[in-house]
Amino acid sequence: MIDRAAPHPAPYADPYVCGVGLGLVLLAAYVVMGRGLGASGAFASSASGVVAALSPASARANPYFARYAGAAGGPWLDWLVFELAGVAIGGLVSAYFAGRLRFEVERGPHTSRAARLLMALGGGAVMGAGAVLARGCTSGQALTGGALLSVGSWLFMIGAFAAAYVVAPLLRRAWR
Amino acid sequence: MRAPFYEFGAFGSGTALVVALIVGAAFGWCLEQSGMGSARKLVGQFYLTDLTVLKMMFSAIVTAMLGAFWLGRVGLLDLTRVYVPETWVLPQLAGGAIFGAGFALGGLCPGTSCVAAASGRGDGMALVAGMFGGVLVTGLGFRFLERFYDVTARGTFTLPQALHLPYGAVVALVTGVALVAFRAAEYVEGRHAA
Amino acid sequence: MIGRDTSGSRRALARVALALGAGAVLAGSPYAAGRGRIDVQALARTSEREDDHVTAVELARWIRERRPAVRVVDVRTRKEFDEYHIPTAEWIPLDSLARARFDANETIVLYSEGGGHAAQAWVFLRALGYPRVFYLRSGLYEWLDDVMSPAVPAIPSPADSAVAALSRYFGGVPHVGERAATTVAKVRRRGC
Repeated sequence: MIDRAAPHPAPYADPYVCGVGLGLVLLAAYVVMGRGLGASGAFASSASGVVAALSPASARANPYFARYAGAAGGPWLDWLVFELAGVAIGGLVSAYFAGRLRFEVERGPHTSRAARLLMALGGGAVMGAGAVLARGCTSGQALTGGALLSVGSWLFMIGAFAAAYVVAPLLRRAWR
Repeated sequence: MRAPFYEFGAFGSGTALVVALIVGAAFGWCLEQSGMGSARKLVGQFYLTDLTVLKMMFSAIVTAMLGAFWLGRVGLLDLTRVYVPETWVLPQLAGGAIFGAGFALGGLCPGTSCVAAASGRGDGMALVAGMFGGVLVTGLGFRFLERFYDVTARGTFTLPQALHLPYGAVVALVTGVALVAFRAAEYVEGRHAA
Repeated sequence: MIGRDTSGSRRALARVALALGAGAVLAGSPYAAGRGRIDVQALARTSEREDDHVTAVELARWIRERRPAVRVVDVRTRKEFDEYHIPTAEWIPLDSLARARFDANETIVLYSEGGGHAAQAWVFLRALGYPRVFYLRSGLYEWLDDVMSPAVPAIPSPADSAVAALSRYFGGVPHVGERAATTVAKVRRRGC
């Protein structure tokens, strides 16, 4: 299967067309489920599940984890957990057919794999903290809440992009 | 009015999980097709070389926003039963800023990291692990966060309410801003390519 | 979804977005329920029968008895709500009422500072078709006067004693004789 990745990966699709497609997926979620998309919520739910598995008492005592662990169906049979699993599957299938499936650590020409992996690890951790505080991420807040005109979601977007534009120049060398 | 279907009892929670898988797959497909599974491409947004993130996100927001508005207007969708994320002014501004910093550092967001990981990208996998750890640690230390977590709560608070404008006017405004942003994005990208 | 020249489809999408966005300005509310129907005759009859409001003491009894399916709704500003609100009340300002969700079997009791806005909210919810809606006629003032610091005669009847007990249940302070000004909340004699 990895061989398929080799010489000619397909060009990326038009971003506007993809965006409209994504918007229609989001709209379908509103119409079918009465809710939108998300990603960080799935991480919160699974983290709660892990804590609950290791120590049910701790999970119950922690107000953040208790909410997910105590939800109907539990932390694992959670809508967002399944949705995120779907995201991985959809991404995998799309990459396969586009010939973009390959093991790689994307980085700049002067950045080592280790450095890039550390950046990703750290970036992920920081985003995790931010997502807990903001009750969501770009999928749950910016897309879902943004399309429904929630003030908090737009504030999240503004905060996120402002901060990203401040931090990115400091890391320019990692990608050049 | 019988939509949202789930809210009107069209199917149960088991089927809802299947719907989640399908919706997620479509979501992941769209992300990967536009190249959002590639950190290298994604960070182009922050260096103003490749503004695909802006085009994707804003197109999606405008599409869903217009769709929700018009389906509501013609009575095909009961908007009062669609969950609107609530607002906490300071926590979401602060959380957004923290998130944005991590975004610039990691080069992917939670959703796109799953696409990247599924495409075989090691940085995507590392980011997924980092996210999990970050949420876990923050959750464990929630006690320290609790006081700030709930400040400036506004409940369900929308732009039409905040701006004292009719819903449709805000929809028009956002659409207009998006179209202008797209024009600007094409210009900025053109300048870079030159 | 191949990366060919898609400027044609882009322009088409932009035109559709522009049309739908511009049209939205003139379209009215997307909350279909938000447009309501006012049956003036029926509402007028209900008001005449005094079947549109409750007294503060009645409401207090409902809350204490944990009467099922009662929802107490505060329609003032968030700041006023945070300063003080009737126990078990939820905050739904006037402009959010159109998008609020109530069950048809719920008994909704609206209140505002003096009752004016609550009475308006009563009309709105009745127009949206909810059958069991009431408002606190003299608003929070009535609650503070009649429940939080009721005047009880020096020699109380059983009914008076019941009111005094009800008041104490909510942390109120019954007074003998004349009505006392309340010290529980800062009452601004302004606003509806």
